[in-house]
Amino acid sequence: MTAHEPTSRLFKENVKAAMADPNLQKAMKNAGEGFVGKRRAAAGGVPEFDQIRDAARDLKNHVLGHLDLYLARYEEKVTAAGGHVHWAETAEDMRRIVLDICRSVDAKTVNKGKTMISEEAGINGWLEENGIRPVETDLGEYIIQLRGEAPSHIIAPAIHVTSDEVEALFRERHTHLPADRNLSELSSMLSEARTILRQKYFEAEVGITGANMLIAETGQSIIVTNEGNGDLSQSLPKVHIVLASLEKIVPTMEDAATVLRVLARSATGQDMSVYTTLSSGPRRAEDPDGPEQYHVILLDNGRTEMVGTEFQEMLRCIRCGACMNHCPVYQAVGGHAYGWVYPGPMGAVLTPSLIGVEEGGMLPNASTFCGRCEAVCPMRIPLPKMMRHWREREFERNLSPKAARYGLKFWAAFAERPALYRLATRAAIFALGLMGRKRGRFAKLPLAGGWTAQRDFPAPEGGTFMAAWARAQKVKGAR
Amino acid sequence: MSARDRILARLASRLATGADREAAVSARLAGERPDTPRPMQSRTTPEERVEAFIARAVKADATASLIGSMADLPAALADELRRRNLGPSVRAGSDPALAALDWGGVEVSRGVGRIEEPATLSVAPYGLAETGSLAFCSGPENPVTLTFLGETHFAVVRAGDIHAGFEELFAAHRASGRDPRTLNFVTGPSRSADIGQTLQLGAHGPVALHIFVVGE
Repeated sequence: MTAHEPTSRLFKENVKAAMADPNLQKAMKNAGEGFVGKRRAAAGGVPEFDQIRDAARDLKNHVLGHLDLYLARYEEKVTAAGGHVHWAETAEDMRRIVLDICRSVDAKTVNKGKTMISEEAGINGWLEENGIRPVETDLGEYIIQLRGEAPSHIIAPAIHVTSDEVEALFRERHTHLPADRNLSELSSMLSEARTILRQKYFEAEVGITGANMLIAETGQSIIVTNEGNGDLSQSLPKVHIVLASLEKIVPTMEDAATVLRVLARSATGQDMSVYTTLSSGPRRAEDPDGPEQYHVILLDNGRTEMVGTEFQEMLRCIRCGACMNHCPVYQAVGGHAYGWVYPGPMGAVLTPSLIGVEEGGMLPNASTFCGRCEAVCPMRIPLPKMMRHWREREFERNLSPKAARYGLKFWAAFAERPALYRLATRAAIFALGLMGRKRGRFAKLPLAGGWTAQRDFPAPEGGTFMAAWARAQKVKGAR
Repeated sequence: MSARDRILARLASRLATGADREAAVSARLAGERPDTPRPMQSRTTPEERVEAFIARAVKADATASLIGSMADLPAALADELRRRNLGPSVRAGSDPALAALDWGGVEVSRGVGRIEEPATLSVAPYGLAETGSLAFCSGPENPVTLTFLGETHFAVVRAGDIHAGFEELFAAHRASGRDPRTLNFVTGPSRSADIGQTLQLGAHGPVALHIFVVGE
């Protein structure tokens, strides 16, 4: 398997499984509100926060409007610093380029810092197929690699795993350690993983990291982490490979600062993440440490096709995870239900763009349109609006389920004939009101099982909204 | 046509054309940028700057102490090592500011970080009051691996090198002519919340970060 095969089209089935998984529900309940409170406090601590969000949005819009030119300038700077830029149109291109570089130094082990682009391109499975061992060094990524899973959150990849499950996993997989060791404390598990991975840093020939940003002015790539694993992964091996999607460009270091000022606050509620590293080229002639080769692989994989469309704004995303942290749907079902690399609201918009509406078209339906994602997005991406665009496309292309299509057509037949619509709703309200007069609510209603399975449906009282509106207008007019 | 040229052509065909686009990019890269709002935290006066820097570093779980001059560093470091029950030795680079000092009872070994480093010492050319961060430059003077492999990382920064915000720090960095492979911003010791979503200090990098701020 070279990549995690998408199961996004099975979203409904995935959701049912997620809701019935007690471990997942426990983990999500444990994680949920922490992020929300921390973000609120951090954003609230900066009076200018919303203005900085506007500036970050404008900055990224400027970059996207000049992306071809900035990419060319960025490439010049990387090359001038002694690095190499490779261009990958597809995930397959990226896999081939990574393998070529690894083979050129006869790599046996590759250390990985956290990178979502690696997940998108299916790098781990591909390296394994080719006899090279990928070692995830971010603690969360390490845990899910041992479990054979994909991340379920873009910044907290193991958010769906409870600490009891981690203990059981370490006992099962770290068989070189005494079976009766004490792992009851979280700190003993952390220290065990730290010791094992410390060894790995010194063994790998190649280190792969992602990039939060690429600076055109200087040719630097930026990684933002809390653990320090991304820095050990890029500083100890002979070769540093940066995997980045091509929209990660910012013009200058100051522009990077504008993004940094909203990134950590939106993501984890920190004012600044622990490690923010700007890297350019290989080690300098006099340097005693650092990689001897520096490669950046820029991935397109459908992104250039989003430029100039109603989905272009999605390319402003800085992968902070605030949208999923604030999404009632994500919080209820976790990330794996979304069935591919990117979950939550940003995943619901990005997935159909990158792997097609046939596979990912269900995801934009996973929204109550409550608007919290857009309200907290540091880059002010109109996520609900873009989910609506996808719903329209799904409908236009006859991809939505039959029942939904017929239901919509049936409703539209009435909605397009206002007199008929009013008559029909009056009759329905009258009948329901009569039937529900005794209890004031319904425990069961035909065609509304999805609602009544979880809660009662209130019986209507006093006519339709249109009737009430007409009455109110009349009163206003009489005054 | 190469992948590069195809990607750039696809973008160009989807974006507006015109000579002014090239000029806009050149101007932006030359430092012309629209007025950009800054956080309140980035506007400390020189008088309050060191205090703000220390307060924010401590908020990020670092510890800090003020020393009068570089010459006081060996004694201050020896004290800190004792207080933390660490042996009297550290690993450091060839930074001239450290080479000139009389280290007394502290053994200072020189070189890159090794797999086990109980204590490392680096000089940070910049501090950032806005966030309580240090910024290190990789190179022989302060090898980058010392910043990440030390179990306890000791850092030295001069009060005069602490800048109000990113803008001032980057201006100073450009003016210095330094061109390190990495510019490493460090804000507190390493941490992870990946086990049970509970924050713990000391993930892969240092468990503790202590900052000596050197006055003038």
